[in-house]
Amino acid sequence: MDNAYDRNDRFELIAACDGETLAGFADEILAAEPPLRVLQEPRPQLVMQQVREPVEGRPFNLGEVVVTPAEVRLDGEEGFAMRPGKAERHALSGAIVDAAVAGDHSLAGDIVTDLEAAGEAFERERRETWTRSRHTTVDFDVMEDEL
Amino acid sequence: MGYVAVTAGEELIERAADLFDAQRADDEPPVTLDQFDGQLARLTAQAMSEGGLYAPRLAALAVKQAQGDSVEAAFLLRAYRSTLERWDETEPVDPDELFATRRVSPAYKDVPGGQILGPTKDYTQRLLDFGLVDEGTVTDPTADWDIATDRDDGESGPEEPGHDEKDQRGRLTNVMQVLRDEGLVAPAGDPPTEEPVDTTREPVTHPPEREAVLQELARGETGAITALGYSALRGYGQVHPTLAEVRVGQLPVQVEHPYTSDQVRVTDTGVTETEAIVPVYEKRDDPQFAFGYGLTFGRNERKAIGMSVLDASIALKGSDEPAEDPEFVLDTVDAMDAFGFIEHLKLPHYVTFESILDRIRTLRDDDAEPPRAEAAEPPDATGSNESSIDTGSGGGPGETDSDGGEDGE
Repeated sequence: MDNAYDRNDRFELIAACDGETLAGFADEILAAEPPLRVLQEPRPQLVMQQVREPVEGRPFNLGEVVVTPAEVRLDGEEGFAMRPGKAERHALSGAIVDAAVAGDHSLAGDIVTDLEAAGEAFERERRETWTRSRHTTVDFDVMEDEL
Repeated sequence: MGYVAVTAGEELIERAADLFDAQRADDEPPVTLDQFDGQLARLTAQAMSEGGLYAPRLAALAVKQAQGDSVEAAFLLRAYRSTLERWDETEPVDPDELFATRRVSPAYKDVPGGQILGPTKDYTQRLLDFGLVDEGTVTDPTADWDIATDRDDGESGPEEPGHDEKDQRGRLTNVMQVLRDEGLVAPAGDPPTEEPVDTTREPVTHPPEREAVLQELARGETGAITALGYSALRGYGQVHPTLAEVRVGQLPVQVEHPYTSDQVRVTDTGVTETEAIVPVYEKRDDPQFAFGYGLTFGRNERKAIGMSVLDASIALKGSDEPAEDPEFVLDTVDAMDAFGFIEHLKLPHYVTFESILDRIRTLRDDDAEPPRAEAAEPPDATGSNESSIDTGSGGGPGETDSDGGEDGE
């Protein structure tokens, strides 16, 4: 997820981005009062997470995850976003941001910059977490020979 | 008998609830949701796991509202969940997709990717840390670690020997694959074409499908899963496994994008995973291992391990021991079911109890009266009328459930 002009990447970046950043862009976009229609009200919903157990390869339902999807049509361009958790305002903001980039809004460049920065921050955090964990890598020795 | 309404003043019930909330009211600032989610993450993880609902912030709210009662918090989450529609099911995610922050293998000393302890106090003594009593701020004891995270390959520090290209950035080879490469695990079959049974929408039928067992165990109560798994280890069962590995990490949640129809990641769930290896080769023509699988939301290693023991025990298809009987296990591990049934006993049972009292009083009165037959006739030499009063008839196991009327169970 590194190219915010790509629809799939943008979806993931909007999901990972700080919600207030999305809300700030949405407020700026709406300040000009463009035609906006909410196609799907932001409302918390459930996604059942299915996992394939590793021995027989059989999928099973691990449990449900709360997400908040939203969809809009902004100035003739459709936008869709989904945020983890109960996040109505940020989901709606995400959908507006998605539509704005899709419609090449004047703020699109700034949005893309911030979204891609959020993606880099996510990757950086992952790297750091992994590196810290790797610093605890240990060798377990069998002591039988020493007894 | 049917339900019996019991009335009480609504205002007084609200007062009792206020008194409950007043227990949080002191001169200290309220605990924030961020603090629950961060500093007490094990508690919120347990609530999510037992609620079968992944929503860290809502779980923090539930734990706060329940004043730390994890099962009550799980109940609140399930109640909230029941108000929501389902967007979709994810494509089944492969556990290889897990971003691991901890992985230890009790089975393989030299496991590919290494033994990564991660954040744990497993290998330290369990001693109270009095330094936390008057802690001013939480300091990060790893802050001065020499960790460079800006290398091109994302790695830092000495290269660990023996980890291949795949074992990078938290993606670790599943130990199952190591065993499979040796031919000790049967190849995975073709993926089923049908959707797995969903026990949140269909009642569990017996004998249950394996996916129903896994789903119910995954959202079972931690203490119950631990206790029943422990029972198998203590000799009430045949399973005493070696764990292939225990992993803690993040599992991606991917949905289908409505515009592109591609799989896209919306978030990750924090999970704990384990596989239990069970030597049952003497029962098979082709010597291979049997396995149990454990996977649960949040950091909860004892529950994941207990789940893998129970999964393996149930797979043996025996019914001599509690842990091998799926009906027994699945009927008792759900926190909401157990919580509801156990705690309902404290609700008004006046009609039930009055009925029991009446029966006992009648029996006692009958017992106190001189047997009329004795006065008229000499005792039967055979003693056949000795049990003319059966005091055991009031509560024997074959009796109708005296509780069934009032509470409708």
